[in-house]
Amino acid sequence: MVEWARYKWPIIGIVSIAAVLLIMIAVGFSIGFLSEDPDGLERVIIDAKGEEYLEGLPQAWNPILGWLESDYIAGIIGIVLSVVVMISVFYLVVYLKKRKAS
Amino acid sequence: MHIPDGLLSLPIILTLWIIAAAVIILGFFKMGKVFEKEDSDRLIPYIGVLGAVIFAFQFVNYPVPGGTSGHLVGGTVIAVILGPWASVILILMILIIQSLFGDGGITAIGPNTFNMGVIGGILGFYIVKLLIIALNKTNLGKEIKTTIATGIGSYIAIVFAAFVCGIEIGLSGEIPIDISIAAMTFWHLIIGIGEGIISALIVLFIYKAKPDLITTEESLGVL
Repeated sequence: MVEWARYKWPIIGIVSIAAVLLIMIAVGFSIGFLSEDPDGLERVIIDAKGEEYLEGLPQAWNPILGWLESDYIAGIIGIVLSVVVMISVFYLVVYLKKRKAS
Repeated sequence: MHIPDGLLSLPIILTLWIIAAAVIILGFFKMGKVFEKEDSDRLIPYIGVLGAVIFAFQFVNYPVPGGTSGHLVGGTVIAVILGPWASVILILMILIIQSLFGDGGITAIGPNTFNMGVIGGILGFYIVKLLIIALNKTNLGKEIKTTIATGIGSYIAIVFAAFVCGIEIGLSGEIPIDISIAAMTFWHLIIGIGEGIISALIVLFIYKAKPDLITTEESLGVL
């Protein structure tokens, strides 16, 4: 049985993060708070090799996740995946630790 | 800072994968200290949320003068909150998920973990620790000391990670090494300011909202 009360604040936290992310993306780009310019590494590659080179680099997941075009959906899926994977791994660590201790 | 597939040479990729894997395996053994406290597994959902926060922050790029942009990497701030070993593991998992969305290559997960987790997290943690030892001689409160040290430590760690990333790219032969080191370091000297400010604000916010989430005060030597 899942103790929902125990996870109330983490769940509120996750929903809040997703909401803030969506608002930041929606509002941030329009008021110039966020930037679509290349980041530091991309800037170095573009300056040295050109934009075509950067765009031509292979992306292994494109055939699988190429359909995902919305930043919003990608952000939400990513946040949910992050939470699930990290909670799972850290619970596994605790489980193994307790089993070893007992 | 996310290295894509196809940029690094095979020897560089393999070397950095081996180092990152060794650190992660060591990390799994070392990080148990976080969970030694009674009922510490209550922290786990918050660790998940912290991972989501860093994931979300890495999605949003702030503008940087000169036609580029930056985003939080977060290795040092995670290390300050959960410890250096947990930081490497969290960064690895964030990078795996990000690679699904084309942000950083799959073959480059090892090198990216090395740059952002090992340098950003572990080295960043010890830079913060040194700064806190220096700040312990002042009359500042522990929240302020940790916040200032995190801001400066994050900045130094991200610039050094960029410097090392420049070496990796240069040694791979895609870009001349003098250009790759100089350019990566130069841009991250500017971009790192945002990393420092955001990291410091996250630590300050956690101190105000839920200070028991900062699990490293003892190992950082905060007085």
